[in-house]
Amino acid sequence: MLLLSCIPLKTEWHAVASWTWDAQDETCGICRMAFDGCCPDCKLPGDDCPLIWGACNHAFHLHCILKWVNSQTSQAHCPMCRREWQFKE
Amino acid sequence: MTSSGAPSRKALSKIATNRLQKELVEWQMNPPTGFKHKVTDNLQRWIIEVIGAPGTLYANDTYQLQVDFPEHYPMESPQVIFLHPAPMHPHIYSNGHICLDILYDSWSPAMTVSSICISILSMLSSSTEKQRPPDNDRYVKNCKNGRSPKETRWWFHDDKV
Repeated sequence: MLLLSCIPLKTEWHAVASWTWDAQDETCGICRMAFDGCCPDCKLPGDDCPLIWGACNHAFHLHCILKWVNSQTSQAHCPMCRREWQFKE
Repeated sequence: MTSSGAPSRKALSKIATNRLQKELVEWQMNPPTGFKHKVTDNLQRWIIEVIGAPGTLYANDTYQLQVDFPEHYPMESPQVIFLHPAPMHPHIYSNGHICLDILYDSWSPAMTVSSICISILSMLSSSTEKQRPPDNDRYVKNCKNGRSPKETRWWFHDDKV
């Protein structure tokens, strides 16, 4: 019996999981790209382009907030609330 | 004023281009009241028409803002000046330079062209006299050769006007 060869190939797929960042805003206040996407310097969202929270609870793409912090000659402030920027412990 | 001291004409970085394209789309869908963006193909220099708010000293007056974006916008603030003739205002110099802290020391990358425009209109609207800053002549003389207002060390002493 060659019955097996008659079974059509399945073309559907099953997602086993989906993910989203747990941030209050939907977009990064610095680059204005969606948090579910990545910063303009990255190609793929996910662990390579993570979000980071400040002590003030504002979230940004890690790459974006680093650019801002490193561009400041003195203590950087949170772009959203102007409190001194500290990475959340 | 044609090439009034655009600080650095280095091409926009990727993040700057990306963000400005988004800002432009948002502006076109939802422009701030009292402002018109003059369409050009230059993403790095925006010319924006400002119409004085009704019921203020500047009602129906129109002015033009020139906004130049640096390579690393929004990590650095844009250069914002009024084109000639600049409105008579205690914080606006006759060469178009604007004494407004968010354009310099208090810049934040979360601000946008739209939010800058609203701040400038609010500054105009709260003015009670159409007058130049007291040190206008001295300041303007010091700014010869098209110096950028971003090179000025501003003292922000009055938050009422």
